[in-house]
Amino acid sequence: MIAAGVDIGSSTSKAVLIDEKGILSYSISPTGAESVNAARRVMDDVLDKAGIAAEAVSYVVATGYGRVIVPFADEALTELTCHARGAHFLFPDVRTILDMGGQDCKAIRCDSAGRLLNFVMNDKCAAGTGRFLELIARVLGLTLGELGEAALDAASAVTINSTCAVFAKSEVTSLIREGKDRRDVLAGLHSAIAVRVYNLLRGVGIEPQLTITGGIGKNKGVVREIEKRTKLKCLIAEEPQIVGALGAALFARDKLVKQE
Amino acid sequence: MAESTSAKKHLETTLLVPALRKKHYAESLTQTAGQKTGWCSNGVPSEILDAFGINAVYVENYATVCASKRLSSGFCRAGERAGFSQDVCGYARILMGYLLGGAEAPEAPYGGLAKADFLLVNSYSCDSRMGWFATMQQTLDIPLFVLDAPYQPGGGCTEPAHMVYTESQLLELVSFLEEQTGRKLNKEQLRARIDLSRRSADIQTEIYEMRRAVPSPLSAGDAYTVVWPGMYMAGTRECDDFYARLRAEVNDRIANKIGVVPEEKFRLLWSGLPFWYNMALLNYFEDFGGVVAIENAYFRNEKSCPSQHPDPIKDMAITSTMRRHYAGDLEQRLQLTLDIVRDYSIDGVVLAYNPSCRLMYLLQPELKNALDRHGIPNVNIECDMADERTYSEGQIKTRLDAFIERMLALRK
Repeated sequence: MIAAGVDIGSSTSKAVLIDEKGILSYSISPTGAESVNAARRVMDDVLDKAGIAAEAVSYVVATGYGRVIVPFADEALTELTCHARGAHFLFPDVRTILDMGGQDCKAIRCDSAGRLLNFVMNDKCAAGTGRFLELIARVLGLTLGELGEAALDAASAVTINSTCAVFAKSEVTSLIREGKDRRDVLAGLHSAIAVRVYNLLRGVGIEPQLTITGGIGKNKGVVREIEKRTKLKCLIAEEPQIVGALGAALFARDKLVKQE
Repeated sequence: MAESTSAKKHLETTLLVPALRKKHYAESLTQTAGQKTGWCSNGVPSEILDAFGINAVYVENYATVCASKRLSSGFCRAGERAGFSQDVCGYARILMGYLLGGAEAPEAPYGGLAKADFLLVNSYSCDSRMGWFATMQQTLDIPLFVLDAPYQPGGGCTEPAHMVYTESQLLELVSFLEEQTGRKLNKEQLRARIDLSRRSADIQTEIYEMRRAVPSPLSAGDAYTVVWPGMYMAGTRECDDFYARLRAEVNDRIANKIGVVPEEKFRLLWSGLPFWYNMALLNYFEDFGGVVAIENAYFRNEKSCPSQHPDPIKDMAITSTMRRHYAGDLEQRLQLTLDIVRDYSIDGVVLAYNPSCRLMYLLQPELKNALDRHGIPNVNIECDMADERTYSEGQIKTRLDAFIERMLALRK
């Protein structure tokens, strides 16, 4: 019994292949302009990695913004439902999930079975998203990975007043020009993001345990600031970007179990 | 013109509304000699205007027409070019774009509006409207009459002082109209209009009551359309006939258990105004077995009071004309919505966050908190009611899909 989950996000596409025992392989790739191609690419990649033929995959669930255009999917589910399921699979005691992706942030509550209970999403604003951090990384000439690491060495965080991605970019540029330490500016920036997502989390009610999924889960600076705000230790999956695709794959596997 | 995204209509009677509306706008462009045209806000009693033979044009309705014909972007842009901020009411921006956009504004639906001789605005519920009408007065350089409604905590005209004040305002409106038209108010005609209007309103209330039925006989996609005759043709025989016919059809559907969806799995309440440029969103849940069984905007749960006084103006002041059902104080509106959830067997609530409508927007966060406290599933979707540029398909559908998944999971 082999099932797959495909998560077509705004920045990256992900696929996970599973059988009754667990994860067989996974893939992460930039979505680019052609979401259908991205879906095919990550699917081909997981099949290659696992050494499995496409015909052996009996059920595919698609998720993410591009969920409805995955040509080989049997079903589409939202990333909210899938992140809840995937996070719960990895951390059974998780009740609150913060999905910080390329385009938006979602605060999600789930029950003890990993079912979606409630959610709040950021509205029409890129602050606190991957796109925002990409913008800042480009301004500072850093990679996304370096961005989080650099903030950990800050002596004291500089206050960033703007949470709008465009204005914050201008503010960061000005602060650097004024001679402020890059690490302090980044710490301030991560703190501003944490304030913003903390409000989202409060919208669903924060219940331990808490996990951060999505690409920003890899940013240690943001994670540290969110932990400070929530006073909770954030559980971070080995690969936080695939949690949605994993949830989708689990739903696909459920379907096969039911059919049997 | 962009592709239509109108709601799917399930009732035959609903299908009569577009023709009524078209006829209404066509007639308003062919005035009789000497007939005056008043551009009005909602809440200006059409019965009084009819009794004066005034050609009443309800501009908020025209804004929804522009939006439903997918012309709001062009009109809003034109309004913004004229200096109106995107934070201003979408209806106001559309009308200001219509007035000031010139060649850059889109072609006006129904051939445009009859030229206004004066403006009439009711102050109840909406403060943006007052500024908007004042701006139109300056732009058009025509008289403006403000029908001031007293703030009534707790709802209707229950305080004697409110009634006295309301009567004085209606009398001032009559004086203004007498001056503008050079005619005296025909009280007999007004009395006849009021009686007919109340009868139609009571049928509407009955229909709202009937919508408690499971499966839902009439959902929001139809309801936001069938509300039109009651709002803009009140006090006419045509309006009365329309609601009598609608009641019969709803009755028939209930008796034969004809629902909006074949197998009703969940029932929703739509809180706030719909997105007039995408009314099909109200039908979105139907593919999943869901139905927007009721909506709180324009909701009526009270029958009209019996006539209280032989003088029609005094009677109007005392009874129902200026009584509001939805636009009262926050506490009252909150309770009304929670009562609807209970009475209409609602499983979940869609909260339409509409920042440019301050009246509707204010309720939603409070309502969300209350729904969360009661464990009632709900989802927020943020868009303007008229400016379609604020609508983001991907974001909205993700929220609604997740909400639907949650509703269906709860049933398991």
